[in-house]
Amino acid sequence: MMPLQSVFLIRLSLLWLLLSTLAGAILLVHKAYGIHPSTWLLLPLHFEMAIWGWMVQLVIGTAYWMFPRFLRSDIRGPELPAWILVILFNSGLVMILSGHLFTSIPGLIFSGRFFLLTGIGIFIYLIWARVISYRNV
Amino acid sequence: MPKISRLFIKSGIIYFFLGMILAFVAELPFVNTGALLLPVYWHMIVVGWITQIIMGVSIWMFPRIGKDRKKTETIPAHLAFWLLNSGLILRFSVEPFLLLFTTNQAVLLVVLVSAILHISAIISYLIEIWPRVRTRPVIARRSE
Repeated sequence: MMPLQSVFLIRLSLLWLLLSTLAGAILLVHKAYGIHPSTWLLLPLHFEMAIWGWMVQLVIGTAYWMFPRFLRSDIRGPELPAWILVILFNSGLVMILSGHLFTSIPGLIFSGRFFLLTGIGIFIYLIWARVISYRNV
Repeated sequence: MPKISRLFIKSGIIYFFLGMILAFVAELPFVNTGALLLPVYWHMIVVGWITQIIMGVSIWMFPRIGKDRKKTETIPAHLAFWLLNSGLILRFSVEPFLLLFTTNQAVLLVVLVSAILHISAIISYLIEIWPRVRTRPVIARRSE
């Protein structure tokens, strides 16, 4: 059964995929029609949403769902850190995107990267012990 | 593995190979394309290869609605494949030459159509996969 944290991670990754595609499509049309010079501001957003929002988040959500589970009641480990991971990862990404758009506000990208890093740290903490085989080989 | 997943994965493998060929060709000393091929290369790898593999595997492996044991292939899944690949082919065939044809309306129209095809493909994929990303249905949980 897919855990609720994975449902959130995977569905959010799908939304980031859609937003990244929209940004990419606008950039592509801008290359042909020259909409406005500031359209290029979307380029770093397009990258960040595709890499972190879509691909990395989908991998995290799927790994949290599918990796071998523990033989105890909390089959995927404590739930609270997994929820914190969902929140930190996505709020961090929003901060990074805001930092690219509003360059006058200092520290947004730095704080966003810190949130992402903490989220990834929590993911490693949750998944490390589940990289395991229960066979005697 | 359903046919649509095989199409996504094989198409992804082809784009991976093409992307690597492009990266190799761009590095040849007598080829001077500058940054023209860079967006083509990146989109071949990230969309053509990685995203298509993810789409194919998720359509194959993610939980199905109800008791769909025959693994029915849906229209949105097929639409996602054909729209995305036609969008990518159009894009790759005109994007490197855009600077040469800045006033050619036909070329500009191809770019616009390609962008619309990309967005439509992703929306089709979301229609297919969104309802399948879920915890176990309430009815099944009650029967445990």
